[in-house]
Amino acid sequence: MIKYLIQKEFLQIRRNAFLPRLIIVFPIMIMCVMPWVMNMEVKNIVVDVVDQDRSQLSQQMVHALEASNYFIFHGQKSSYREALTEIEHGQADVVLVIPPHFGRDLTLSRTGGAVQPPTVLIAANAVNGTKGAMGSAYLSQIVTSTVAPTAAAIQQKASTLLLYNKHQNYKLYMIPALLAIVMMLMTGFLPTLNIVGEKEAGTIEQINVTPVSKWAFILSKLIPYWLIALFIVTVCLLLAWLIYGLTPSGPLWLVYLLAMLLALFFSSFGLLVSNYSDTMQQAIFVMWFFVVCIMLLSGLFTPTRSMPHWAYLTTYINPMHYFIDAIRTVFIRGGGFREVFHQVLALLFIGLFMGSWAIQSYKKNS
Amino acid sequence: MNAIEVEHISKSYGKVKALDDVSFSVEKGEIFGLIGPDGAGKTTLFRILCSLLLPQTGTAQVDGYDVVKQMRQVRCRVGYMPGRFSLYQDLTVEENLRFFATLFGTTVEEGYPSISAIYSQIERFRDRKAGALSGGMKQKLALSCALVHSPNVLFLDEPTTGVDPVSRKEFWEMLGTLKERGITILASTPYLDEVRRCDRVAFLQEGKIRGIDTPEVILERFKDIFNPSGLAHENTPEKKNENVIEVSHLVKAFGTFRAVDDISFSVRRGEIFGFLGANGAGKTTAMHMLTGLNQPTSGTGTVVGYDIRTQHEQIKKHIGYMSQKFSLYEDLTVAENIRLFAGIYGMKDEEIRRKTDELLSRLNFTEHRDTLVKSLPLGWKQKLAFSVSIFHEPGVVFLDEPTGGVDPATRRQFWELIYDAAHRGITVFVTTHYMDEAEYCDRISIMVDGKISALGTPQELKERFHQPDMDHVFTYLARQATRSSD
Amino acid sequence: MKQFISFVIKEAKHILRDKRTMLILFGMPVVMMLLFGFAISTDVRNVRTVVVTSQMDPQTQQAVQRLSASEYFTLTQTVPTPQQAERLIRSQKADMAVVFAPHFGSRKSGIQLIVDGSDPNMAQQWTNYALGGLTQMNGTLVNTKMLYNPQMKSAYNFVPAIMGMLLMLICAMMTSISIVREKERGTMEVLLVSPVRPLMVILAKAVPYLVLAFTILVVILLMARYVLGVPLAGSLFWIIVVSLIYILLALSLGLLISSIAQTQLVALLLSAMVLLMPVVMLSGMMFPVESMPQVLQWISAVVPPRYYIQAMRKLMIMGVGIEEVLTEVLVLVGMTALFLAIALRKFNVRLE
Repeated sequence: MIKYLIQKEFLQIRRNAFLPRLIIVFPIMIMCVMPWVMNMEVKNIVVDVVDQDRSQLSQQMVHALEASNYFIFHGQKSSYREALTEIEHGQADVVLVIPPHFGRDLTLSRTGGAVQPPTVLIAANAVNGTKGAMGSAYLSQIVTSTVAPTAAAIQQKASTLLLYNKHQNYKLYMIPALLAIVMMLMTGFLPTLNIVGEKEAGTIEQINVTPVSKWAFILSKLIPYWLIALFIVTVCLLLAWLIYGLTPSGPLWLVYLLAMLLALFFSSFGLLVSNYSDTMQQAIFVMWFFVVCIMLLSGLFTPTRSMPHWAYLTTYINPMHYFIDAIRTVFIRGGGFREVFHQVLALLFIGLFMGSWAIQSYKKNS
Repeated sequence: MNAIEVEHISKSYGKVKALDDVSFSVEKGEIFGLIGPDGAGKTTLFRILCSLLLPQTGTAQVDGYDVVKQMRQVRCRVGYMPGRFSLYQDLTVEENLRFFATLFGTTVEEGYPSISAIYSQIERFRDRKAGALSGGMKQKLALSCALVHSPNVLFLDEPTTGVDPVSRKEFWEMLGTLKERGITILASTPYLDEVRRCDRVAFLQEGKIRGIDTPEVILERFKDIFNPSGLAHENTPEKKNENVIEVSHLVKAFGTFRAVDDISFSVRRGEIFGFLGANGAGKTTAMHMLTGLNQPTSGTGTVVGYDIRTQHEQIKKHIGYMSQKFSLYEDLTVAENIRLFAGIYGMKDEEIRRKTDELLSRLNFTEHRDTLVKSLPLGWKQKLAFSVSIFHEPGVVFLDEPTGGVDPATRRQFWELIYDAAHRGITVFVTTHYMDEAEYCDRISIMVDGKISALGTPQELKERFHQPDMDHVFTYLARQATRSSD
Repeated sequence: MKQFISFVIKEAKHILRDKRTMLILFGMPVVMMLLFGFAISTDVRNVRTVVVTSQMDPQTQQAVQRLSASEYFTLTQTVPTPQQAERLIRSQKADMAVVFAPHFGSRKSGIQLIVDGSDPNMAQQWTNYALGGLTQMNGTLVNTKMLYNPQMKSAYNFVPAIMGMLLMLICAMMTSISIVREKERGTMEVLLVSPVRPLMVILAKAVPYLVLAFTILVVILLMARYVLGVPLAGSLFWIIVVSLIYILLALSLGLLISSIAQTQLVALLLSAMVLLMPVVMLSGMMFPVESMPQVLQWISAVVPPRYYIQAMRKLMIMGVGIEEVLTEVLVLVGMTALFLAIALRKFNVRLE
């Protein structure tokens, strides 16, 4: 009997004016546009220099600045105040102030003269904290290596080895997150809208007087969207490979397993919401509210470990957190089943809990 | 000066001609009826006269103003009640009325005399949200809202569909008083008794006016459609004494309110059982308990041998159900709908295919096999929905107002299908607001205030209450009601 | 006028009676402000660090202590080989490993950082902090000053963004849905046939949402100031004026959507697709516009919230005068006029 119900869902999806287009356009848009947009790479930082020293050393600094691909050298300003106005206008992000006699004082202090070692000032627009912090860190590295080659040498002795994402490719970091968003929309929002839609149209009453069991009804609503979600995940993975040359470093089946586990959670959650809502607007708003919270607290955009302790505690029940952790391990770090076993277990547990709650709350008769 | 003057109006949507060269005029103070099958173009005509749509050719004047050029003047002088409920569900009864009164520049107090006949029935529920009213009460409220400002011209697009006969009578009595005050009324209706109360009627079919005259003349001229010969209803000889539905002391209470208050009855196999009652008498609730959608508060009942309390999933396998609100999935084709519901009842692919062909050819539907249900006329949808609901040969089929809003000829065809099903041994449990249909039933029960106040064959009931026909029986009983809500 | 008021009251009742939606409408800003203010940050903190050393000589010990003394790093364990450290990082037990070469003590050199590079930004910051901590060379030559946001709180950056998003959402989405709902339920037909001017129907719809949006704006500003400690550095007057222009813009967008959409679902999806997605993605709310490819930067130039968020960041956080955000304000005014004109022109006084 479930066969006929699933067939019906597919026919309705196909006849819908909007859904087939969404299913085709969505993954393409997600994969072609999003990786470029969701780029928190800090680059193209615009720098103004207030060079009051005008020495050879300060010239060197400016040259080093221009050579760096993090910075765009915007211009020399005559005073700090003038540079500040540039920041207020949004023309510049960082100001580098080299004090008068910087070169001379530096040499004097090194040779044991009675002068304090001089300092350059870096003033960064820190409205965007990450950008301010990283911009000034990069800039001070440049200053240090120009001014004090010995100090730089010490740093150089401490070499750095970046694992997994050697080219610091932000897209590689974001593509697993995109998979999460796709699964959320396809298996969370769409079935919810569908079920509430049948409720509003009254067609659910007709189904309720037939011998269709609640399992059959629920599964027939969810399976089509799971299949569509799998299709979209496949398209996304293919596009990631074709456009960006990025492929999962871990086993592919694990990517699918994780996606399915997340689908289990989101569709159960959507079902739960639809059981408690009467109108589409309500359902959408409630879904949206929870989804935003789940996403923001999952480590999708910001590291979970930077959260305060109380907020970090919520990640223990946040399925998205387990998913993001696991999929990044598989996709980027090349982890296998053993590495993500713990997350798989947690996802499964949360998914089953949600699922049984949702089915429990679906009532065929009152 | 005529109140409404329509000259050569045409309107088409794409290739479909909704109105084709329509001309007529309505005198001031006249009640003018607009009748015709579903899809004849009635709603389009109403919308053009209300200046909501533009005609493609032709002109129309309402109260002396052109509907195209003098839109504002027209809108100040007309009242309009569209076919669908036009209420705010989350506002209370009184808030709805007050809002519409202000909208038309008047107050409830000022307009009260013109609506008191109807509004007094729902005034008790003035603090209830409109969304919590029963269908009939919503209709009454919508009417009050449309009448509160006493317009010069009143447009009513099937105002009484789904309303019980008693309320319909009261409504038309009220229209009579409006007429005395010189208000012109243009109304469409599928009910013959209402047609007879009009001064003149126009019969509209496929966008063309087929005739305009007094009701008697029109009903006589098109009697094939409006007055089909009575159904030859021979009682099936071997009506077994086996009860398919047995109900005793059934109660359903919502809080302190007893929607269904201790009802008992039984229905025999192959019987056509009419389940009548005014809006809000508790019919739908009773039906929901029998079909397993609701748990009874107390009392017992069996349907096709299964207990309605504990075995409702078993019951669902052996019944068919068709409601007025929903019957089929509109975005599936005819064949797909049949396949879906047959599949749900566990029929095999092979069998489905064979029986689908058989059914479609019996209904003369073969060429519409792959038509989307939403593009079928209402009457066809209803016939199809009924056929689908008995496709799996259930023991009982429950029909909840199956023929709302269609013309008498189509209703008659529908009843032929019902008789056909009854002959094959399927018990039919049907609710209706058409009293001519009540006469077609083997036995009927009439519910008043949650209780069954009469039960028997139509003949018995007419004799018992000394009334000439079912319409009078119903009115006689329903007027005794003390509550009018569910 | 009396009609207008009763209209507005009716509209307000619709909003107030839908308790669940109201809860979300007010809960959303509060929760988002709290999340962005307290829970979410990109600070470097609690980086799980593994020490790789074969022998703990005093110099190594000293370096390790320096590292663990900082709040940035949490030392989890010590392993003898880099391979083991790598395994720990792969299974998400650690984020970074500090490898001390044998004889580190005698040569005072030979440190290698092994960093989980999945997140390039964080990897870079961890490296910077770790090197700073280990070599102790930063800071003497360079004096860094963080303008406007000395503690580098993410809230400073996000409060204007949340305002941009929520105001757009509430005004545009809610207005369009409420108009389309009347179309769907058939009440619009009656409203149009009544003697009330169609324009008034629309205005009456907009007023309650304007009030609602303004209330939410006040809630956000109060929370930003007193709960999150974000300074309202600029003139409050201009912040409110610019916000009102933006609210008007959002209302006209909602109106435009409602004249296109026939069903609530379509209105909902249109608002989500046309408004929400671009706002979150292209307005510079989360992802800086200047890091995007040129094409996307051009597209983002027509996304209204981009200008609003930019203007608010300048007005609220940087505390500049109105003359510094004139461009943004002018663009917003222009867009409002354009959308309002199109919306009013497209609004149907009839059904087709």
